[in-house]
Amino acid sequence: MVQRTTEIVVGFFMIAGLAALLFLALQVSGLSPKSAAATYTVYANFNDVGGLTPRGKVSMAGVTVGSIESISLDKNTFQAKVTMAIRSDVDTIPADSAAVIRTSGLLGEQYIDISIGGDMESLGEGDTFYSTQSAMNLERLISNFASGR
Amino acid sequence: MESSAYISLKDVVFSRSGRRIFDGITLDIPKGKITAIMGPSGTGKTTLLRVIGGQLKPDSGQVSVAGHEVPKLKRKELYRLREKMGMLFQSGALFTDISVFENVAFPLRVHTSLPEDMIRDIVLMKLEAVGLRGARDLMPSELSGGMTRRVALARSIALDPELIMYDEPFTGQDPIAMGVLVKLIRDLNSSMGLTSVLVSHDVPESLSICHYACIIADGKVIGTGTPDELRNHPSELVQQFLSGQPDGPVPFHYPASNPVDDFGIKGASI
Amino acid sequence: MDYVAGFGRRSLEVVGSLGRATQFLFGVLVGVPKPATGFPLLIKQLYSVGVLSLAIVVVSGLFIGMVLALQGYTILSDYGSEAAIGQMIALTLVRELGPVVTALLFAGRAGSALTAEIGLMKATEQLSSMEMMGVDPLRRVIAPRLWAGFIAMPILAMIFSVVGIWGGMLVGVDWLGVFEGSFWGNMQSSVDFVDDVLNGVIKSVVFGFVCAWIAVYQGYDCVPTSAGISSATTKTVVYSSLAVLGLDFVLTAVMFGDF
Repeated sequence: MVQRTTEIVVGFFMIAGLAALLFLALQVSGLSPKSAAATYTVYANFNDVGGLTPRGKVSMAGVTVGSIESISLDKNTFQAKVTMAIRSDVDTIPADSAAVIRTSGLLGEQYIDISIGGDMESLGEGDTFYSTQSAMNLERLISNFASGR
Repeated sequence: MESSAYISLKDVVFSRSGRRIFDGITLDIPKGKITAIMGPSGTGKTTLLRVIGGQLKPDSGQVSVAGHEVPKLKRKELYRLREKMGMLFQSGALFTDISVFENVAFPLRVHTSLPEDMIRDIVLMKLEAVGLRGARDLMPSELSGGMTRRVALARSIALDPELIMYDEPFTGQDPIAMGVLVKLIRDLNSSMGLTSVLVSHDVPESLSICHYACIIADGKVIGTGTPDELRNHPSELVQQFLSGQPDGPVPFHYPASNPVDDFGIKGASI
Repeated sequence: MDYVAGFGRRSLEVVGSLGRATQFLFGVLVGVPKPATGFPLLIKQLYSVGVLSLAIVVVSGLFIGMVLALQGYTILSDYGSEAAIGQMIALTLVRELGPVVTALLFAGRAGSALTAEIGLMKATEQLSSMEMMGVDPLRRVIAPRLWAGFIAMPILAMIFSVVGIWGGMLVGVDWLGVFEGSFWGNMQSSVDFVDDVLNGVIKSVVFGFVCAWIAVYQGYDCVPTSAGISSATTKTVVYSSLAVLGLDFVLTAVMFGDF
């Protein structure tokens, strides 16, 4: 009988652990089954990615539509090549849209904002953004301003 | 005696933390008899039992139990051999978190796959043999010292071993409990034909029940034989131990420096 | 000269005891007990190691979460970003405080109890008598306790984090008036499941293993006297705490350090 009670209590303990893990997954880290939805990959080349990091968000008009998968250096052009995963249901991004690196708030993290173009064609799997705008570098801005150039 | 030796030790040398505890012990323990191993405190009598049980490995020499060379056995074989051994520890060593019944049932549950009602019958039989069938639901903390040892005895005979080793069974027992234990040890030996090894320094009790006795001192066997042979043993050391004289070959004083140095009586001559 | 010799001897002792502990661990892990006998033993140990530590973990988690909210609020409100309080609480708890504080509490609550229990079993010859009955105490007594610590620790750490976040929400949202939507929203956008939550769980698994190992080893290796048991218990708490804090630095550097 004692053994039985112990078993039940330990069972509840394990359930509590599982519930805690679920809470951490769903409520705290915002992991939802939806985020496993299909994506397609697009690329963008920047002269300077600044503080952009993998896992950063990609948004359009402030709505998150995908995330940054990886950032690497193109050895030929010496540009940064950013690989992005965009949600499949957002499949009507005009082909001449620009990828712009922005900062959320004054000190917040950097993300890619897609400023929409007017082309009838849409970006598809493996396409590259035609135009990009690199990260605003505060120090360079100030030094340019101070040297009067 | 040699022909039916159940346990035989040959030139066993054992030392621990630099101190030599056994310096070539040779000893035969006959099958189906009670053998008492006696000796002053600190001569490693308990260590001897552990060497026989394979818990400690001797530095050199042979230890064989029932034809098995104990120090050379592999783990698995050693554990199988131990199922045939019972050992009664000085403190009883009952598992404090389970009841008397479960304590006695423990070796049965681990080593056999008997059904529950059969385990119950065996446990109650063993408890009956030590006169504690009524105490089955008590916890070890509720038992007196004598009862603890009797329960431990019931536990060590649960698997019907061939050999049982008693480590100081009489120490710290009142005369009645001691009488009970003496009776139990003798009965178990005669009814089940158990080979019994008894380690003790209680001379009268041990000599009263054992068939053979052996006295160990300074890492050596100083006398063996039947109780009567020992009583008439020529060795001074044996006589000192048996009759309990305070001084003799075993000195009253622990080896010490010259008293003059310690007490500081300068100039005095002793 | 004596000093050098003494230092050498001490170092050898430390290395020797580390070797013994590893050998001991090997002996425990190699002998996996039969599921039929091992499972009830594990359940029993999970109860005494895990369930009985739950109360102290929940209470500490609640208070730590509440304190984090209070402290975070005063600092973040200077920058006008009190909404980031959810992010701050969640990241601190999930990455650091959850695993570390739980491990410290675990060492004090369960580790010391394990050491004392095993030490006492050794002192009263229970381990020896088990061995003489042909039962390996490493498998029967030590292994279930080691596994129980290993399993219970991550569960406790996750419960600690959840309760802490809830306590932080209680103070931050209900008392200090941070908007609930931005509390959770900020948290969800900054906490990553794999990088933060799972890494935190991995940390607590490592801590659980180390704490349980130290506790059972100290108990098994102690000098079987009352003084020996008390010093072994002290050693368990001290060594576990040091090991947890040291390992935490290493693990954090590996997991979150960008280099």
